[in-house]
Amino acid sequence: MGKRLAVCAVAQIKNHPDYHDWRFQNMLLECFEPIVEETKVTFDMDKGIRTIITCSDDMFDARTISDNGITDVVGAHFRGEEKMAQESINGLGYAMACILSGHDDVILFMGHCKESQGESRRMISNLAYDPFYCRPLGMDYHNVDALQARAYMEKSKVTDEHLAKVVVRSRANGKKNPYGRENKIVSEKDVLNSPMYSDPLREMHIYPVTDWAYGMLLCSEKRAKEFTKKPVWITGYGSCMDRYFLGDRDIASNFSLKNAAKRAYAMAGIKDPRKDVQVFELSDQAAHQLPMWAEGVGIAEEGRGGQWIDDGGMERFNVNLSGGQLNGNPLLLGGAARALECYYQLSGQAGKRQVKGAKRAVAQAATGGAGQHQAVIVMEA
Amino acid sequence: MAHQKKNRNVGIIGIGQTKHSSHREDVNQPELIHEAVSLALKDANLTMKDIDCVVHGNMELFEMVHSPDLWHVLGTGAYGKDSIRITTGGTVGATLSCASDNLVASGMYDIVMAIGFEKLQEGHTTGGITNMACPLWFRKIQAGALTGSSAYDVEREFGLERADRASLMYRIIMDKHASLNPNAHRAFGLDFSQIDDLIRTSPKLVGELKLIEMCSQSDGACCVIYACEKKAKELSKIPVWIRDHITVHKEENFTIFGYDRKYPVLKTHKFAAEQLFKRNGINDPLNYFDVFEMYDPATWWAIDWIRDFFNLQGDEHLRLIEEKEIMIGGKMPINPSGGVIGSNPIGATALVRVAEAALQVRGNAGPHQIPTPVNHALASGFGGTMWTVMTMLEKELNW
Amino acid sequence: MAEYWGVKVEDIFNTMKDRFRPEGAKDVDAVFGYDIAGEGKWKLTVKNNAMTLEKADQLSGCIATMSADGETFVGVNTGKVDATNAFMSGKFKVEGDMGAFGKTGKLFRKFVLAKKEMTTKEYLADMFATIVPRFKAREAEGLEASFGFDLGGPDGGKWTVFIKDKVCTVTETIEGKPTVTLEFNDARDYVDFILGKIDAQSILAAGKASAKGDINMMASKWPILFEKYKDPMAGAVQEQELLVLKKTISLNEKFSTGPIMGKFLKGLKEKKIFANRCPECGRLQLPPREVCAECRVRAGEFVEVGPKGEVRYMDVVYYAMPDPLTGVARETPYGSIFIRLDGCKGNETLPHFIRKDQIEKIQRGWNEKKGTRVRPVWEEKRIGDIWDIKYFEIDE
Repeated sequence: MGKRLAVCAVAQIKNHPDYHDWRFQNMLLECFEPIVEETKVTFDMDKGIRTIITCSDDMFDARTISDNGITDVVGAHFRGEEKMAQESINGLGYAMACILSGHDDVILFMGHCKESQGESRRMISNLAYDPFYCRPLGMDYHNVDALQARAYMEKSKVTDEHLAKVVVRSRANGKKNPYGRENKIVSEKDVLNSPMYSDPLREMHIYPVTDWAYGMLLCSEKRAKEFTKKPVWITGYGSCMDRYFLGDRDIASNFSLKNAAKRAYAMAGIKDPRKDVQVFELSDQAAHQLPMWAEGVGIAEEGRGGQWIDDGGMERFNVNLSGGQLNGNPLLLGGAARALECYYQLSGQAGKRQVKGAKRAVAQAATGGAGQHQAVIVMEA
Repeated sequence: MAHQKKNRNVGIIGIGQTKHSSHREDVNQPELIHEAVSLALKDANLTMKDIDCVVHGNMELFEMVHSPDLWHVLGTGAYGKDSIRITTGGTVGATLSCASDNLVASGMYDIVMAIGFEKLQEGHTTGGITNMACPLWFRKIQAGALTGSSAYDVEREFGLERADRASLMYRIIMDKHASLNPNAHRAFGLDFSQIDDLIRTSPKLVGELKLIEMCSQSDGACCVIYACEKKAKELSKIPVWIRDHITVHKEENFTIFGYDRKYPVLKTHKFAAEQLFKRNGINDPLNYFDVFEMYDPATWWAIDWIRDFFNLQGDEHLRLIEEKEIMIGGKMPINPSGGVIGSNPIGATALVRVAEAALQVRGNAGPHQIPTPVNHALASGFGGTMWTVMTMLEKELNW
Repeated sequence: MAEYWGVKVEDIFNTMKDRFRPEGAKDVDAVFGYDIAGEGKWKLTVKNNAMTLEKADQLSGCIATMSADGETFVGVNTGKVDATNAFMSGKFKVEGDMGAFGKTGKLFRKFVLAKKEMTTKEYLADMFATIVPRFKAREAEGLEASFGFDLGGPDGGKWTVFIKDKVCTVTETIEGKPTVTLEFNDARDYVDFILGKIDAQSILAAGKASAKGDINMMASKWPILFEKYKDPMAGAVQEQELLVLKKTISLNEKFSTGPIMGKFLKGLKEKKIFANRCPECGRLQLPPREVCAECRVRAGEFVEVGPKGEVRYMDVVYYAMPDPLTGVARETPYGSIFIRLDGCKGNETLPHFIRKDQIEKIQRGWNEKKGTRVRPVWEEKRIGDIWDIKYFEIDE
């Protein structure tokens, strides 16, 4: 129980364009073993892990009940296992509920996604739309994000040059992240000359196809010292769902993100994120989303995303020092990747990316096209 | 630290479900969901304004919709709300209930709505189930959830004739229950006099598993509203309390077909029941519970699991069936709703078990209400490779 | 011969010749029996893309015989009775070769209910027969009245509707002096008026009808006292056509095999079957997996097992299951077997299929009884796939 959730240990494999020599079971196992070894956690019905939360997707795995194939490699044989079938960040919110409710006190949270397995991730996100109207129109997350980019860039005076800056910085930061996907270092000119993907988004504006897996050991306040000397705490969570039809939404408004952030901040007692939080990790599946989500979480002024980039907002607020999702994390797992970076920052393990004296961090991620569903967590040292 | 008392109590205050049917061409997916949501809100005398968080679940590959909660928001009412999508297998409905209980008990939300849904006519169910197997190996061999192995086991232990008769007896009892439940999908109007006839004429699907013994493929949705103790008492005259729940999964391979007595197979249903009852101090579950809503995908599994859940010895489980003790009015009424064998919209099915058990505790289930008072109810879910979820419901907060 | 929904059992059989689809009769060479309780027996012979039907006294020599009562048979054929429900509940039975009978579904076009017009006489009979059921007693508190109907023309007649003590009765004459009497020159106008095809104003204005007595009382009370008459023919037309979008969705995938499953599949290429062993409990896994789920440790050591073994369990599958990777239905029946390969113990079994013609001969094994010995039959050209083993066959 208690009021907060402890993150005791994390593990991940490097973000990779195609782990063609591994099944996703192998990917998870590489994350499972170090956690068990580091924390000496057991699966004892009284003292150990009784509940495992996983995050994966039936469509990306091409399996009904994608968690069925991984029961053994996440230790869930004869234990409880529940799958977050949404952005992984919500798995942390849900884990918080499991612990604060008193139903559990130790939880293993693991996720995987092999974006490289399917021929086309756009075909999968096309299936998120209704079969009658939006699907035949060819909507998928990328071109819906592009519609959002058009509307948002107009609203917040964000230009093609701004997006080029975001991409260049993301790749430079990704290089400093030992788990970051290996991408070519590019110049702003390269980005500006890269082919158009879904106007106004260019190929380099969209996160690349990536395979990845991670694991986190979470527990109650009371039990944290058994597994680590230096836990990091999750103290706030909030989410919000926007409308479905694009015509019913203002896709440049950050409606769902503002609500999610407000709820998470209220829970964690954050009054002004600009002052109270030192690290921000935002899931920018497309480059325009970095300034846009920055507005949503309250560190850029509404409608001034372009100016915020010019004023050095990304550095001032330590946004996406990991490289962000733009550097490469698979769909649905961007939130977990953001939370892992926050964990490293808050426990002083961020190496070259370390923000000195980071006490509080915010991780954000979205599910669906143009950020239909948003969630935010607050983490503290 | 062992399992502990929860942070705060959680009660069920609203229940809604659609009529389960194989003919719901008149509605699309969000519309079907909306029916259940409206009924649950009406039952709880609430509006969407009162709901803090919406929990959604089903199986994506049955209807081939990715992240369906995004489209379904048209019917779920989650717009502007916190919302979570969490799934398991056929157990998903029960998982939604567990998740809602956790979300409310944690203090993070006061009122949470769980929505389980499936529109199985929009895909191929058995093909969809087979897709759960590894594409490199067992997917090429598996036949959905169809297997004659439980029939084989019961027949080997008790003889073909007794096994077949017990199976059909169970089936007809479920049909009689379903006939009393206006929401049930299949209610044939079977009678016990048809047992021999059905054993002879019902076509075989796999081994001794006959068509009549297998569950249906239904379209349907179920919605249940959960509230913290304070709100539940304010808002409902008859809240039903969630005492505890347990989830037990099993590895991907079935590893049960060796038939070697030197290598006893640990059974998930038995394990789950033992753990749950032990930590709640229940020594004699058969006497403790007044009703059991069991996820019974086929008669043979039902027969086997009655034994596992209640830890029965010898042929006790068969006698419960043969002596009609599982019927409404019997010693341990099982599935007054008609069970999964009567209606199976998979993503909703296990939530329907919790909902129907709660209706029995409330005492207003309708024509299929059992005549004696229900203070303690049990619900189970089934999915994956023998996964189970069990939920205990109570009328009073006195445990 | 009884009628159900206006259709006789014989109507279904008599139209079979017209509804026959030769294209659906390819590869069908069989005699089917129909036994309709209380109606008779029929034999349907299908051969060379043609059919003959005869009434018969007995149904010997039929590959499959269906039996039902007349109502169920007509109901299923006209869509009035849910076929699955009828079949599952035993009201519609098939004995003999179920699979063969299934082919009759493709032999005929659907029987279509001829759209029948209701005559004026039938409408009048129905309208007055439903007066009492449509009566709302609670609205008749303290009311005592009678309504006369004098409807002329060849189909006409006379009726009186009495209301007293909240009870409604109808007679087929005009008795005494009703509170109000409606007179129509032609009963057909009355029917059209009730069906809403013409309005009262135009009938009265044209002098086609008149009223005697307290017409205002009737105009104000009648709509409250009775449910509106429902045209039984109206239900025959669906209000709105429900469209269904049919779509096959396929996603191309490349499944990595990884070092564990990969080693196993590669082994098949060389006619070797590999299991892997748990370093803690020692169990063998088939096919091999990355870890032992029970001990939660990596299972690295590979052991060659089999290739011969003993059948421990077999499922005979009759259900036409589509292969989810190809969409093509597997031919039934087939035998799905679990083999304990030599070198394995306990539940360490491998699933595969048995040679089709040997299903009947398979004995399943357990501790006290040995199962049938089987061996793999390998493909000539092997690619590292489970179908490198075509199937298992009895090892004699």
